[in-house]
Amino acid sequence: MDEQKTTKRILEEKLRDLGHVSLYNPKALKEISKAFEKWRNTAVLETEKDKKNLYATPRTISGTEIPRNLLYTPLDVANLDYERDIGLSGVAPFTRGIHANMFRGRKPTVRQICGFGGPDDTNKGIRFLLEHGATGVNIVFDFPTIQEYDSDDPMSRGQVGMGGVAIDSVEDMETLFKAIPIDKISVSIVSHYPTNTAILFPMYLVMAERRGISWDKLKGSVQNDFIMEGVVRSAPELIPPYDCFKIQCDNIEFIRKNVPEWNPITFNGYNLRELGTSIITETSVALANAIETLKEMIRRGHNADWVAERLAFFWNISNDFFVEIARIRAVRRLWCKIMRYRFDVKINRAAWMRCHAQTSGLCLSREEPMNNVIRAAYHALAGVLGGVQSLHVDSYDEAYSVPTEAAMLISLRTQQIIQEETAMTTVVDPLGGSFYVEALTDEIERMILDEIEEIEEIGGIVKAVDIGWLHKKITAYMQHENTMIEQGEIKIVGRNYAKAAHVQSPAIDVFRYPKGVAIKRQKKLAKLKRERDNEHVEMCLKALQEACKRGENILPYSIEAARANATEGEMAKVFRKAFGLWKQPIY
Amino acid sequence: MSNETRRIKAIIATLGLETHWRGAVTVAGMLRNQGMEVIYLGNAYPEEVIEAAIQEDVDVVGISTLLGCHLNLGGEVLGIAKKKGVKDRMVFIVGGVFPPNDIPKLRQLGFDGIFGPGMTAEALADFITHAMTKCQEGSIENITRGTATS
Repeated sequence: MDEQKTTKRILEEKLRDLGHVSLYNPKALKEISKAFEKWRNTAVLETEKDKKNLYATPRTISGTEIPRNLLYTPLDVANLDYERDIGLSGVAPFTRGIHANMFRGRKPTVRQICGFGGPDDTNKGIRFLLEHGATGVNIVFDFPTIQEYDSDDPMSRGQVGMGGVAIDSVEDMETLFKAIPIDKISVSIVSHYPTNTAILFPMYLVMAERRGISWDKLKGSVQNDFIMEGVVRSAPELIPPYDCFKIQCDNIEFIRKNVPEWNPITFNGYNLRELGTSIITETSVALANAIETLKEMIRRGHNADWVAERLAFFWNISNDFFVEIARIRAVRRLWCKIMRYRFDVKINRAAWMRCHAQTSGLCLSREEPMNNVIRAAYHALAGVLGGVQSLHVDSYDEAYSVPTEAAMLISLRTQQIIQEETAMTTVVDPLGGSFYVEALTDEIERMILDEIEEIEEIGGIVKAVDIGWLHKKITAYMQHENTMIEQGEIKIVGRNYAKAAHVQSPAIDVFRYPKGVAIKRQKKLAKLKRERDNEHVEMCLKALQEACKRGENILPYSIEAARANATEGEMAKVFRKAFGLWKQPIY
Repeated sequence: MSNETRRIKAIIATLGLETHWRGAVTVAGMLRNQGMEVIYLGNAYPEEVIEAAIQEDVDVVGISTLLGCHLNLGGEVLGIAKKKGVKDRMVFIVGGVFPPNDIPKLRQLGFDGIFGPGMTAEALADFITHAMTKCQEGSIENITRGTATS
């Protein structure tokens, strides 16, 4: 592997030597070309002003301004080599899907997000979803837990149990998963940051241990993405990106070794896109992070196959329907090429781009909120047509509050209707071979690879974050998008297009947080701190801090601290002290 | 004379443990484009917001919050502002995602402008100019314009 060359260069060199078998014969293409010219000059361009009919650039929320032809023909994909570019499902380059039988084998996991109030409240929420046919669990945490403060910290005041579930210690993890069969069902722990993954996942493992479930029985994923910590989220106190990336890799290393069926990282494009960026940046940043992660794991002496077979991705699905489908196909193909030709992996699984997808919240509007049911259904459809492994559908009331139970149920039903009523999951990659979708797939793959090269030329993704390159890029995108919405170039039905004459507040139920969560949590923490062996806790925290300073993998130490009932806030303080703070280069 | 030439100065903060920064940065950009001087504070607690606002002698205090603490921490911001005697010489605006029923409550707490998704740069600038005039006349209390949220 050549350290100096960009991924794009490496792929170009390696792929150049492979043979090429054209799908279309040159004679046919010539005939089509003739017919196309004639059609273009007579049927389409009857007058000079008809020229605008030939090309258009759709402007959509969360969009990428890719110009589109009026009509796509074999001429747009004239170089297609069927086996090299499209192929068969379950066969490299996996454009059509990572499994041969795709959804006939297993339908996308219905993995709706759940998390609010205390662990007891969310436990009820998880059970509600499972009872109504959800097939996976997806836990989000409250703001203090995400930002790593305990429920009794003055900085958590007024925010405990909001936006997710409050977790302070292993005991809360036990309450959260009470009677949930974690040895049978897969659990996604939306931990966001590497630092809180290094705290919360050990708590999950110790919880399993206390229930007598061995770690090799556990299935699921953590998020663990330093882009979330350095770019996507703002926070009062953050550690520097280089240390954060190191912890990201510590988590992967420990989890790969000790929890074999667990996905130790979910490269999260979703939230970056929701923050405000194009589908290209969403994807190129996630892939650049994955490339850098693999390089670091190899540097630590690990085998690329062993690491890569458990890497997972998380994508956003927004409004530009065919672009969304094409991107999922494009990134599947590109990832396979990167793994095979840059990292020389041998096993198929290590070249699979396995992904969870979530429909866009940003594309939902506050005006006429029921329209969001329709928007989310189209997003979900794009995900299924793209061949994702797992899906969350956003709820129509998200521009008002955390989803209500009724709104959550509609999201769940949206997935079930697509899966069970529309025959959409019967045939693998039904849009494969469409001239339009294949041309878009090629174009998007090219754009992603170009942007990965741009990041590599800066000096890699960690540097791109550290110097604020990504923050700047995002801010520019947001401001451009805002202007286009204000000018009506991007249309939002009910807001700046076909706006109702008399806008009334819709009669919408909003989610109300359960009462008294903070007080309950504080009492629980006081009891925990009274009853645990505080001397032992101190010892564990000291050992954790020394490990941080020595630069060794910190996970064995945070596991010990979790076993001793140390709290999340206590462990996070250790990180801040050991690594220091970093100011995000925002604005 | 000096009053007329002085640029309007605004401070923008996200409240508490807020994780979202898009709204705050977008609004900061809008105000800067309008020729105002903008200080982007990032995550801050009510006392820090007011302290910075006083130190920088700002005209406008903008708070962004999406996580649901607009009433409690938002209320604290105004409580501290009143205590420090700056409530009436600064314009207080809040933006974010709020349930419709909370909007009258935010007004009651003392926010001069309440903005939600869909607010335009123009509406915001209009509001601030109008509110600044009222502020100088000492009658900011009864502003009803500028609420872009339903």
